[in-house]
Amino acid sequence: MAWELASFPAELLRVDAARVQALAAAEPALAGVDVDVARPGEPIRITHVLDAVEPRIRPDGRPAFPTEGRAGLGRTNRLAGVAVVSCLDFPGEERPLHEQEGIIDLAGPGAEVTPFGAMANVVLTFKPVAGAGHVAIDQAVRRVTLAVAQLLAEPTLEAEPAEVERFELGRPTPGLPSIAALVQLSDLGQLYIQYVYGAPAGMAGLPRAFDPAELLDGAVTCGEYHWASMRNPTIFNQGSALVRALYREHGKRLNFAGLVLMRGYEQTAADKQGAAEAAARLARQLGADGAIITTDAGGNSHTDTMLTCRACERAGVRTAVIVSEQADPTSTETGLVDWVPEADCIVSVGNSEDSVPAWAPERVLGGELLLDGTRAREAGPIKTQDYLGATNQMGQLDLAARTW
Amino acid sequence: MTALPTIATMVGVNRTLRGPAITHPFGLDEAERRRIVERGLEMLQAEVEPLTVWDVE
Amino acid sequence: MVKAVHYVNQFFAGLGSEEAARTPPSRLAGAVGPGRGLQAALEGIEIAATITCGDDYFAEHEAEAVARLLELFEAEEAGILVAGPAFGSGRYGYACARLAAAVAERGTPAVAAMHEENPGVAAAGKAYVVPTAVNVAGMREALPRMAALAGALASGRELGPPEEEGYLPRGVRRNYRTGRLGAERAIDLLLAKLSGETRTEVSSGFDRVEPPAPVPDLSHALLALVTEAGCVPQGNPDRLPTIRARGWLRYSLAGRATLAPDEWECVHGGFDVALANEDPNRLVPLDTVSELVGEGRIGRLHDAFYTTTGNGTPAAVSARFGQEIARDLKEAGVEAVLLSGT
Repeated sequence: MAWELASFPAELLRVDAARVQALAAAEPALAGVDVDVARPGEPIRITHVLDAVEPRIRPDGRPAFPTEGRAGLGRTNRLAGVAVVSCLDFPGEERPLHEQEGIIDLAGPGAEVTPFGAMANVVLTFKPVAGAGHVAIDQAVRRVTLAVAQLLAEPTLEAEPAEVERFELGRPTPGLPSIAALVQLSDLGQLYIQYVYGAPAGMAGLPRAFDPAELLDGAVTCGEYHWASMRNPTIFNQGSALVRALYREHGKRLNFAGLVLMRGYEQTAADKQGAAEAAARLARQLGADGAIITTDAGGNSHTDTMLTCRACERAGVRTAVIVSEQADPTSTETGLVDWVPEADCIVSVGNSEDSVPAWAPERVLGGELLLDGTRAREAGPIKTQDYLGATNQMGQLDLAARTW
Repeated sequence: MTALPTIATMVGVNRTLRGPAITHPFGLDEAERRRIVERGLEMLQAEVEPLTVWDVE
Repeated sequence: MVKAVHYVNQFFAGLGSEEAARTPPSRLAGAVGPGRGLQAALEGIEIAATITCGDDYFAEHEAEAVARLLELFEAEEAGILVAGPAFGSGRYGYACARLAAAVAERGTPAVAAMHEENPGVAAAGKAYVVPTAVNVAGMREALPRMAALAGALASGRELGPPEEEGYLPRGVRRNYRTGRLGAERAIDLLLAKLSGETRTEVSSGFDRVEPPAPVPDLSHALLALVTEAGCVPQGNPDRLPTIRARGWLRYSLAGRATLAPDEWECVHGGFDVALANEDPNRLVPLDTVSELVGEGRIGRLHDAFYTTTGNGTPAAVSARFGQEIARDLKEAGVEAVLLSGT
């Protein structure tokens, strides 16, 4: 089975604010939305970022972010170089989990630490209805953001693609090592959830093997707003550098054995161990000699990563794991939240505690005050942790940490 | 047994007994040595937290 | 002009060698010994005082020594501490590093200098360590490097990376762009691992293992003796190095109930071995353990003991010795070990 991804240039982007506002107006939990476009080099800082989504649409009329049926079949159009960015300052009500600050800079040193500094960002600043509750507000924001992503891709239906990529795994080549991707998706509760075909990761029957094309084609969407730098927004799933690289290397340096989606933040020690062993069994069933384990968010999701690493190694599947370090840059303490001796092959995607130097944005979208109360225009150096996806643990970027 | 327990714990030793001196961790005379060895045997038979350091007395 | 205090051990302060190693902390005016050459290399910094302590005194009374040396340091109201160079000397290096760490912890810049494999390096905390040669022949090279780093620190500017500024990496983790995506690096590393070459971009530092469970019944257990104190048969027939050992040795204890001074000696190059050579049981307590076996307190004694010199040995090499010895002990069914460290 094959899937085709047709890429169209960002020049096709047309933003009709009235149509975006009409989508928000249909949501009882939302009072409205401001629509702006922020382009590379403009002296703009975007704050309170929740998610970023690449505009996608299917010529056959099926939804770009399906909640039923199957992604990764037929053809999908993408508007390359564009991100729909959802921003919201949740009302200060009681809620078990709190969204963390998320920043995108379009200029200054911060523009270098996220991929969004080089993209056209369609910024949606949502205004919630008082008293609607964080669950309903979050659902409405995610629904509208995905709908806008589909809306913005409409011009591709009338245009010629710049490139069409075909994703299909041919027969494995004898003698090459088989490598599986084990991709972790958070589910700690509302505001810290990745969704699989619209269902929370914890209710999606994970761990489970998927066609890798499903991940690239909108099967996984993000409602996880933990530390921004370690967050995997929807666009990272749509453009998974790991899955793309494994397709590219298939038949060359390796055979791509397949994709396993796993839950991060399994809730009990027994569940964590059981899920780790189940993921290792799936990797074995895929015939994997090796597995690359990604991580979503931080804290005890790192324990899930490490337990999965150990379970795979014990099952005879060699592992590389991708994690962010969280080390006080003035201290020499280790920055790994959890670690097992089996984790002898770790990719560091950077130290989220290291700072990005200050600069003075002229314009702020999303909200003038950061969640810690400082003014976004004159915030001084900001921890890498607050920049969207800057130390993401899917391996989307080239950042790393080294010892000084 | 060592007179340098901080180095022992830094490298991850879980049962360290603080010896009297670098030059003679098991003591100078037989009576002292007996106290140190017996304390060591006691530590071998004890449940300990990671990186525990005991004194002889 | 920034005021500096220089720390040296008893030997470099001119108080004497091993016989003066138990000298408590004291203060000397101005630059002393290697401090004179250091002063010549310093720009804009004056060594107001030299503080010193015997290496054995420091090791055996660490808390008191650090507290007293900090008092002496703070009385000078200096802007920076410079310690060493200690070269390959483990005790001196540890003292330099511990004192520098304590000063840095209080927010005052501190530089220590020693060989990069000196075990003291690991104790330097937030202080900076300038790498030197392994022995005093490297003094002439070391002093200008110490002076340059001290000058940079005293200026208050933010230091650049270790290779540019001439200090050993402290373990602080800073971000940089590799030019290759994390996902691609993961594939590279995993393929390398599958072909037998395991690498990692970050590790947890020293191994941590759970404390082994208590020995259930020592009166039936097999116990072994291990030391890194360099205890060998008289004449050192297997030529165990006095420093930077490359391996470990195993000597039979069959038929013995004590280590007699005319049959055994200590060749460790990192401390005064006179007391150990008077009575090797002070390092490997065979006499006491044999008695306890006779009394039934210990089941049996393993028929050999294990020895090396733990002196200037890199931690990774020491870890390998430990793993090899542990494997041997496990195969012999040993359940308990008494290990002496010097």
